[in-house]
Formats: sequence, C-alpha cells, structure tokens
Amino acid sequence: MSAAPGTRLLLASVLVVATCGLVYELIAATMASYLLGDSVTQWSLVIGVYLSAMGLGSWLSKFVVRDLHARFIAVQLVIAVVGGLSAVALFYGYAYLASVRPLLFSILVIVGTMVGLEIPLLIRIVGAGEELKDTVARVLAFDYVGALLASLLFPLALLPHLGLVRTSMLCGLFNAAVALACTWVFRAHLPRPRAALVQAALVCAALAAGLAVGGRLERLAERELYDAPVIFSEKTAYQRLSITRSGDDIRLYIDGNLQFASSDEHRYHEALVHPALAGVAPRRALVLGGGDGLAVRELLKYPGLERIDLVDLDPGMTRLFGRDPLLVRINRGSLTDPRVHVHNADAMRWLEGHVRTNSEVYDVAVVDLPDPNNFSLGKLYTGSFYRLLRRVLSPAGVGVVQATSPYLAPRSFWCVVKTLAAAELHPRPYHAHVPSFGDWGFVLVSPAPRPEPTHLADVPLRFLDDALLPTLFVFPRDQQPPDVEANRLNDQLLVHYYEEDLRALPGRGGRG
Amino acid sequence: MSPETDDRPARSRLLASPRGPRVKRRGFLGATAGTLATAACGPSTPPPPAIAFVGPDPERSHHLREGTWREGPVHETIHTDVAIVGGGVAGSAAAWRLRRAGLADLHLFELEDEVGGTARGGELPRSRHPLGAHYLPTPPPDCPALERLLTDLGVILGRDAHGRPEYAPSAIAAAPLERHFGRGRWYEGLYPAAGETAEEAAQWARWHAHLRALDGRRGGDGKPLFAIPVARSSAELRHLDAVSFAQHLDELELRSERLRWALDYACRDDYGCTLAQTSAFAGLHHFLARGLEETRGGFLLTWPEGNARLVRGMLERADLGARLHRGAAVVAVDPHAGELRVHCPGDGRRLRVHARSILWAAPRFVLGRLLVGPDPLPVGALTYAPWLVASVEVRNAPRGVGARLAWDNVPLAGSSLGYVVATHGETADERQPGAVLTYYEPLCGDGPAELAAQRQRLLAGDRSHWADHVISALAAMHPGIASEISEVAITRWGHAMIRPVPGLLFGENLALASAPIGRLRPCAADVAGLPLFEEAFYKGSRAALAALADLGRAAPDALADEIFI
Repeated sequence: MSAAPGTRLLLASVLVVATCGLVYELIAATMASYLLGDSVTQWSLVIGVYLSAMGLGSWLSKFVVRDLHARFIAVQLVIAVVGGLSAVALFYGYAYLASVRPLLFSILVIVGTMVGLEIPLLIRIVGAGEELKDTVARVLAFDYVGALLASLLFPLALLPHLGLVRTSMLCGLFNAAVALACTWVFRAHLPRPRAALVQAALVCAALAAGLAVGGRLERLAERELYDAPVIFSEKTAYQRLSITRSGDDIRLYIDGNLQFASSDEHRYHEALVHPALAGVAPRRALVLGGGDGLAVRELLKYPGLERIDLVDLDPGMTRLFGRDPLLVRINRGSLTDPRVHVHNADAMRWLEGHVRTNSEVYDVAVVDLPDPNNFSLGKLYTGSFYRLLRRVLSPAGVGVVQATSPYLAPRSFWCVVKTLAAAELHPRPYHAHVPSFGDWGFVLVSPAPRPEPTHLADVPLRFLDDALLPTLFVFPRDQQPPDVEANRLNDQLLVHYYEEDLRALPGRGGRG
Repeated sequence: MSPETDDRPARSRLLASPRGPRVKRRGFLGATAGTLATAACGPSTPPPPAIAFVGPDPERSHHLREGTWREGPVHETIHTDVAIVGGGVAGSAAAWRLRRAGLADLHLFELEDEVGGTARGGELPRSRHPLGAHYLPTPPPDCPALERLLTDLGVILGRDAHGRPEYAPSAIAAAPLERHFGRGRWYEGLYPAAGETAEEAAQWARWHAHLRALDGRRGGDGKPLFAIPVARSSAELRHLDAVSFAQHLDELELRSERLRWALDYACRDDYGCTLAQTSAFAGLHHFLARGLEETRGGFLLTWPEGNARLVRGMLERADLGARLHRGAAVVAVDPHAGELRVHCPGDGRRLRVHARSILWAAPRFVLGRLLVGPDPLPVGALTYAPWLVASVEVRNAPRGVGARLAWDNVPLAGSSLGYVVATHGETADERQPGAVLTYYEPLCGDGPAELAAQRQRLLAGDRSHWADHVISALAAMHPGIASEISEVAITRWGHAMIRPVPGLLFGENLALASAPIGRLRPCAADVAGLPLFEEAFYKGSRAALAALADLGRAAPDALADEIFI
C-alpha cells in the first residue's frame, strides 16, 4: 500500500481540498450578494445548497468501488475547473444570462457534490492498512483546519489582494496541482497514468494562465455590463458617474442608469425645454437636476435670459460637465456661461429655502431629475415638492417636468401627471421618441392654466418644429392614463409604481 | 409618541429593495468589497458606547417632593403681570400668546436647566434627537389658532387656492413611515397582517367600518364627536369615557389578537396605557379627532429634535430674554396672594415673585405639594405614566430583512415601542453614515401602586443597567447592533404623561384639576386629560387669554378656537 510520502501528500491534499472547497462557497455567496442583493438570503441559500450537495457527494461515494486513486484525481480536476472558473463564469453569466441563479446553483451543486465525494474517498485511500479511528481522526482534523484556513484567508488576504476572479483561479490551481502531484505519486495505481498526467498538467496550465490575466478578466467582466467601453468612471459623494464612448456616441450613466446618449440627446433636451418656452420670453430660469448642462444649453438659445439657476445635488457632476473638454463640447460650455449660477444642493431643500427667503420668482423652471427609483429621488416627485415649485414660478410662469416613460413606466408617468394636477399646476402631458430611451414623457406645468403651445420660438432646433409640436401632446389608445393615485411625501406611492413598472417590463421580469 | 396608524398597509406595496437596471448593481461590488476589506483590516472590537443620563433631574423632583428647598432667605423680589411656571409646550405657548397680544411684563420659571418639558430635545455628535414627544399631526380644519402658530413658526409656508395650508416639506415625516418586526423579519405598516385568518381580516374591516361610520360626524349639539382640543367634543359619545377601550372592543366583538395588538400599540404610544387602561373615548379620539388618516390627507410633522423645535420656536418669538429663568424651582405657591417662592439650585439664589396672574404650566400633581393652603384636588386624582426614552447613535444605520428602514420601527414582541429614526428626514445633501435612533418604552401599570413600582424601578437602575436594557431590546430586532452603538443618551420620565383612564376626561377630578385657584390657572396638558401637544397648546393659549382678561387687557386677534369655554 502507499508509503509514508503518499500518505503525507494525501493529508496535504485534504487540507487543500477543504480550504479551496470553503473558498468556492465564500466566493459564490459573496457574488450572490453582490449581484442579487439581500445578502442574508443569498448567504443562507448558498450555504444550504452547498452543504446539501456535499451530503449528496458523500452518499454517492459508496458507488465508487474501483480505481479510487483515479477517481479521486478526476474529482480534483472537476473541482479545479468548475470552482476555478466559477467567479468569472458568474460575472459573465450576470452580464449575458436572463437570470444568473441557475448558473450559480449549478456551480454550487457540482463543486459541493465533488467536495463531498472527496473526503470519503480520501478516508478510504488513506485508511487502507490502518485503523478506521486513526484515519477518520487524521483526515477530518485536516479537513477542519482547512476550513479555518479558508475562513481566515478569504476575507483577510485573498479578496482584498486578488479579487474574486483571481481568488477562484488560484484555488482552482491548487486543486489542479494536488491532482497533478497525486497523478505522479500514485501513477502505479492508475489505469492510464500518462493520459492522466497530461490531463492534470493541461488543467494546471490553463488555470495558471487564467490567474495571470485574471485581473484583466475581472475588469473586462465588469465592463461587459455596459454596452460600450468606459472612458471615465468616478464615484462621487452621491453616485457613480460612468461615461462610455463608442465611435461618436458618448453616454453618461448615473449609478448605471443611462442619462443621455450624445447621438440622440438633442431630441430629449429639445423636447424637454422648447415646448415650455413657446410663447414665453423668459428672463429668469431655474433648472432642477440637469447637472450635465444640456437643458441649460437649450435655454441659452433664448437671448432674453438674464439668469439661470441650476440646482444639482452632485458637485462632482457639475464640475465634470463644467471642465471635461469632451463633455463641454456636448453642452457647449453652458455651465461656465456667466448667466448660469450652479448650486449644489438637494432640490427640495433648496426650493424650501428659496420660498422661505421670498427670493425672486422664475419665468421658467425645468425639472430634469433622475427617475424615482428610491425614496430620496421619489421625494422630488411629490405634491409637497411641486407645491414649492409652484411658489417659485411667477404667476405667468411655466415649467416642465421629466416624468419617466409613458410606455415603459405608464403608472409612474401618469402618477406624476396626477400629482402635478393635485398641486394645482395644470399639467399638460406630452411625449417624444428618443431612440436610446424609447418613448419618453414630459409634463408642462403652470400656476395658471395655459393653452397648449403651438408655435416654437425662433431658435435653432434639429428635432422639433411647429408641425411636430402638437403631435407630441397626443397619446395613442394604448397609452391612456391608468388608474393611479397622486404621490404624497408621506406615502411615496410613485416609488412603488416605478418598481412595479420596471418589474413588469418584458425581459426584466425574470432577471436575477 | 409616534405616528398613529389606522391605515392598514396596502398589500400592493413592494417589500423588495429597489433594483435598477443591471449596470446599477456594479455599485455593490465596490461597496461590499470595501466593507469586507475594512472588516478584514480594522480592529475587531469597537470602543464601548458612551452612556449618559439626560433629561429631567430626579434630584430636583425629590427636593420639591420633600420640601427641602421651601424655606430660606429671599435675595430678590420680582413684581410682574404674569408668572408662567413650566417651560414645556403649555408654558411656551402661553408666553408666545401673551407676547403676541402685546404683553411684555411676564416671567417664565423652568425647573430644569433646559426648556421643553416632555418635548425636550438633546444632541448627540451625529444629530439632535428628541427626549420625549417628537411629532405633531397636521391639525384638522377647525384649529385656526394652531395653524396660526405653525404659520408663525414657518411650518406652514402658505396656502393653496382652496385656502388649505401648505406645509414645509422639511417638517413632514416622509415615507417609508412605519414597519413592524415579527417572526424574524420586517413588514410594512403597523398592522401585523401576515398570516391573518379570514375572520381576523373581517374584524379589521369591521373596525374600519366602525371608524368610518363615526368619521367627521357631529353630535346633536352641533359639535364634532371627537374634537381637538378634546373639551370641544360633543356630549353625544362622552358616555364612552366610562368604559375602557378593551371593554368597548369586547362590546363590538372585536377580539382579533392582531387588531388588539395594533390598537394596544396605539394606546401605549399615545397615552402610555394599555388597551384595558385607556378610556374608550380617548382611544377613539386618537383615531378620529383629526379625521381618519385615509381621508384627511394630513401629514405628521417632525424634526430631528422632535417637538423641542416647536417649543424653541415659541420661546424665540416670545423673546423673554432674562425673564426666562432656567433652573428655577418654584418651591412655594400662594395662589390668593399671587406669590411664588423660587429657589435656583445652580447658584442658591432665592426669589419672591409677585404676579397679578400665575399660569401653572407644570404638572398639576406638583402644585398640591407647593400650595400654601389646601389643594381642592385630591392627592392621586390624576395618574401619570412613567416612560423610558433613549437615543442611540449607531455607526451604520440598521437594516433588517424585509421592509426597508422606516421612520418608526416597532417590534411585535416585548414592552417597548421600538425606535424612531431621528435622522430620517435628512435630505440627500445632508446624509452621513450612521444614524440616531430614539427608543421608546412606556412603563405601564394598572393602578397607583403598580405605577409607583415602575417609577421606583426606573430610578433604581443605573446608566449601564438601562443602556443594557435598551441595547438588548434593539438587538432583538437587529442582532449585532450592539457593536455599532457609539452613544446612548437615556431619559427617565417619572411622570411623562397624563393617563386618560376611564372616567377622567369628563369627570369631576379633571374639572377640579383645571379650575383656577385664586390668581392661579392650571394649564398644562395633564389638566386637559390627554397628553397631546395640541391640548397643551390650547390650554396655554386659553390661560394666556384669561390672564389678559384678568389684567383688563384686550386680545383683539383672539380666534374662535382659543376662546371657547
């Protein structure tokens, strides 16, 4: 039977197997929490599925009766490949699959079953020729030490220094190395030793190569989540700003949500600004949100404007769009125009302060805020917010509100309209087709009722003209208002509507 | 002391966390890896929290009770038109009202070093926080005097086309407002609907139908069935004050445990009493006096420091300057001579105050001990609920499985009311890590003996005892929160609020308690019978107007709701 070096190698492999096995579990659980959220659920599910798969493996081990060494090596190689590639597979699966869960649980079941199969096999290999009590004691002791090692190494060393992709590759490489060493030491016990050696060596080489490029793979995997190369990414105090570029098309994402695509943003911003200004000679304008300066660019086409106040939460955003040459080319330096005054503040707080200090009112207000996907943003779509808005508009003033997509998020859109009506702002909903967004909705508002606009001002436009203008206010039969309630600060129904609308989108429903 | 709720959580509301489009989730990567890395590198044992007793000083109450400060030489004599005793809501409202009517010659004496009474506020490094009362529902339409106060304080910004007030958003408690914790997870709202039977659902519906049938109704005398202030209520349903809320529910055959939990919670929250200890009239008043929540379209107004903001606003406008005496214990009262003796424990100075009118805006039971001559009110006629309130600063805001962190977070189990997030209203540009949570627990008791025992228990425990008590109650909802806590500020209220037990509201004792004695008018919330800001405000304003009348001064701007009898 195996000599002392063989036994020592086997005990060392118990340690490696146990350590790597737990690391794969930790990787799966960490990634599940990253990608799917709700970490308590994810951790519980991952641990439960993994442990039960190990139980399955242990039970299956009774069916392995011959060629124990060869089977053990084969199991090692399967773990090395599946476990080693698990993180990168999950990253890419997340980017490309409708739901990453089946992949996650397949990986867990395969690795768990194989790890569960290993320990009984090892006990039987080591135990041939010695007492069961000694074997079990030795093997299980190493097994548990390995678990301790993993739980210390993973958070303290592996994750901070290597990241998920390379950690899983490194563990895979260890598993493969154990397989290679065992193949060599136990070649006498193997039916086809040469083929086994080549196999193990190939897996080792593949994983070593993967480890070498793992860092790049991880970055690539993250980038795959956008549609185009990221040319700028910054985490400000409030949000992550990412800019991608594909040819001439430059796109801004805030926390992963597309804000504009340079190829068609003129449609969005013309539709946002100019219908409101039809028949108005604005002197003072207010822009809430819109830190990209694109709405301001449109406003600056009106020569009578004396002052524009822009209120955007994020100084990182307005700084970026005030300085970056590429972005300044898109907004034509609007944010550095002397008539423009930038205020970095929460729009609700700023408005309340403005009302309290009885400051001067505005002829036009453009509300261009991110969609109401959380309670902080949802506040800026409530009746309380719109009542403040009404107070900062002159009696003959006019405003416009970005109101999500009437096609993709119908309940949200019509909830905004209803809320504006409840705030006595005489809403006039309209929409325009912006290819990168789809059918997009806006609402004209005014403290006093106003007729629907018919003649645009004589400013340079690429998208709108007087013929198109009235059609924007027409909603087809399949886009009539659903039954929704107004959005109040103390219930924020809109945040719930928006979540439900997004969930109902085709292709989104099953995601994750 | 937290929001009332007669509104069952809408079942359509979503519980899951928001999920943006897919790229958004990348944000998790950096954040979670960062947390793990920090956890990996940082020291594992956080420093123990700093624990302090804040709020009223039990020593001072003790001296008043024992009369140890009663006798001594007088250093200064003050002659004034009006002396207000107590710088809580009623006293501040009286001062605000008198100044508004043009009276300048008034002094206010507050026992503690800080004003506010049970609406006091405190401050921890992370945020201000309440020590007691912390919110005010927007008033129903027939409260012009209260609306005038809110307009004066800038809480009402203006009016809409229908003349309805528009409230400053910064004062409105924003969604998500409330959630409850049971069976290991959080659920939206304050009615434990999860797993209810058809019969329980039917009882809930029946309870709501009962409320709807009473909502907005007036009695044969033309007065609302349930009014603010309560004394303006119609006589029609006053007989309901004779029975307990629990008995009333028995009579309606509403026995659902879930329903009773929700209503018991409301009673403990507002009155420091259980369902069986609260009068049925008081219980219904809670749900109906401002109109049903689902139909009135109102808000809850709140501030990081709670109603201390309103007290501060009233006193700032009263602008008393040196005539606001903090840390000034009134130790003897001669109501017929209009004389007060005041002892200042800070510097040992003693004042004699001669006032043409005395407004007693301190708890009524204290007066009995200080009066020269007999008190017409029998000892023990009014009962008060003791409360434990503690504000806890945490390094990371708590979360939990299920419904999102709300303003008010209530456990189904245990005697506490859970916690309110003092930092809930921070806008996006004010947000910082961590939070301040204010924990509330009424110490309910059935009669004077049980309440005395609760009070004794409250004062017997030291700082670390009560900090442990609070932390373990929080940890039952949030395992592991103990290591997140950096500060604990504990307030012990021996007599936090009047208990509206059956028979109190329209009984003889309350009439005796609020009746003037000589030149003195009792006017704190306790003599109104309900522990509410509105009651204290109206008592204080009305007493101020009565004092003006005594002084022969007119108050041409008086409004109908402050001059009713």
